[in-house]
Amino acid sequence: MYFITIGLAGGTLVTMAVILTYILGWANKAFHVEVDTKVIAINDILPGANCGGCDYVGCGEYAEAIVADNAPIGKCTVGGANCAAFIAEIMGVEAADMVPLRPVIHCNGHYADKLGINEYRGEKTCTAMGRVANVQACVYGCLGFGDCAGVCKYDAINIINNLATIDYQKCIGCGACAKACPRNIITMTPFKTEKIFAVACSNKDKGKEVMSVCKVGCITCKACTRHCSLFSINNNLSTINYDEYNLDFMDDLTKAADKCPKKVIVCQGNLTKKN
Amino acid sequence: MNYIADIFLIAISATLINNFVLYYFVGICPFIGVSKNVSMAVGMGCAVTFVMTIAAFLSWTITKFILIPGAPVSSFIAGIFLPAEQAAHIDLTILSYIVYIFAISSSVQFVEMYVRKFFPALYKSFGVFLPLITTNCAILFACLTIMSHVAGVDNPADAWDLAKSLILAIFGGVGFTIAIVIMAGIREELDFCDIPKAFQGAAITLIVAGILAMAFMGFTGVDSGLGNMIKTSDTTAVNAIPVETNHQQIKV
Repeated sequence: MYFITIGLAGGTLVTMAVILTYILGWANKAFHVEVDTKVIAINDILPGANCGGCDYVGCGEYAEAIVADNAPIGKCTVGGANCAAFIAEIMGVEAADMVPLRPVIHCNGHYADKLGINEYRGEKTCTAMGRVANVQACVYGCLGFGDCAGVCKYDAINIINNLATIDYQKCIGCGACAKACPRNIITMTPFKTEKIFAVACSNKDKGKEVMSVCKVGCITCKACTRHCSLFSINNNLSTINYDEYNLDFMDDLTKAADKCPKKVIVCQGNLTKKN
Repeated sequence: MNYIADIFLIAISATLINNFVLYYFVGICPFIGVSKNVSMAVGMGCAVTFVMTIAAFLSWTITKFILIPGAPVSSFIAGIFLPAEQAAHIDLTILSYIVYIFAISSSVQFVEMYVRKFFPALYKSFGVFLPLITTNCAILFACLTIMSHVAGVDNPADAWDLAKSLILAIFGGVGFTIAIVIMAGIREELDFCDIPKAFQGAAITLIVAGILAMAFMGFTGVDSGLGNMIKTSDTTAVNAIPVETNHQQIKV
């Protein structure tokens, strides 16, 4: 009886193994799902960071979307122009010019520059602080608790002197910070050159009111528009037309930045040449 | 009536009172790992419930027909070599762990392939969770609980049938879903809290889980109370069964 039990136990396991292997093997063939070879090829080329900068869940989703739904090819900011060119080759289409998008913080107010700051003892996030009145006089500027730094997976944002500052050596341009900022002062900007000029202020109030809340806010003096044709004034705020931005304007832009009385126009970035 | 009351009590017990996660502390890895936001927690809960039900069906079938002493398949094969009364005592329950793991992992694989082929949308929403729970201890725990109620009972009439096993699995899964969704909700709020540095991350999560488990201890005894209520309201035949022993039996 003893040996029969052992034999039966062994037999049960072997039989189960054989039956289950057979079923799974059959299922593997019967339920086989064709995966497009293009999807696999594109998946290999994509950086695999799964950052979500392309508005898809991950690189795999984006690869499928390119093949199945004709999603735009240049959406991967991490892979950059090289990546787009390879994908275009696989898909057999022309790649449009691909410019890396990087976040730019439209505020230049360090702690000493901000006026009307009151003590705040609530939850230490920008989202919470932004809802409390009279903590910071400027209702457009950076709050400095680093919601953006919190969502950055690449450690590229530091809070320096109460102002979020981007480390362009580390940034890959996934755009998570732009989505996280409760005041929407981070925009994804095309870096057509290694360094670009940007208006580091988001205050849409009139000059006098800006003067009362910040030492470095845009007061709509229009000095910049006189020196460079890229500048225009929208909602009491100087803006740069990045569609026509190129190296030829560099001198004009430098001049405009020099002439700005509040030094709002700053030169940002120093991209690595990873791509 | 007594049978329906039993099933009702098994369901309540598995969901709230003897919650798999908060009472027995099985399935802690997904409970901590996938409870960062509510939508993912719901996905994980559904996947666990789904797999647990399938696993319960398989484990009940295997236990009933192969493993327990006197099971039809094993005693028939042993009967070829042995006299009938010896063949009826062949006990293969020692194989339970390995057989259940076999059955669970291969059925999950099978279900994954099937869902991928015929329900691509469902496959996408389950995502990585389905293969993740292949070796989840909560599933194995459900199987072993069912085994203890099929093989470990003195009186064969007390042994659970398939319906009770499935009810245990489904509502065990529902209990898991409730626990993980509550946990995810709390953790979403925790992001806004000013937590001391030493407690941040895993530490505060475990503390919250402990407090949650203590809160669920408040349900203890609800099953025996409910059992009393349901069974005394029933007529004479049911009253003959002492409530205490019923409670023992129902306690998962």
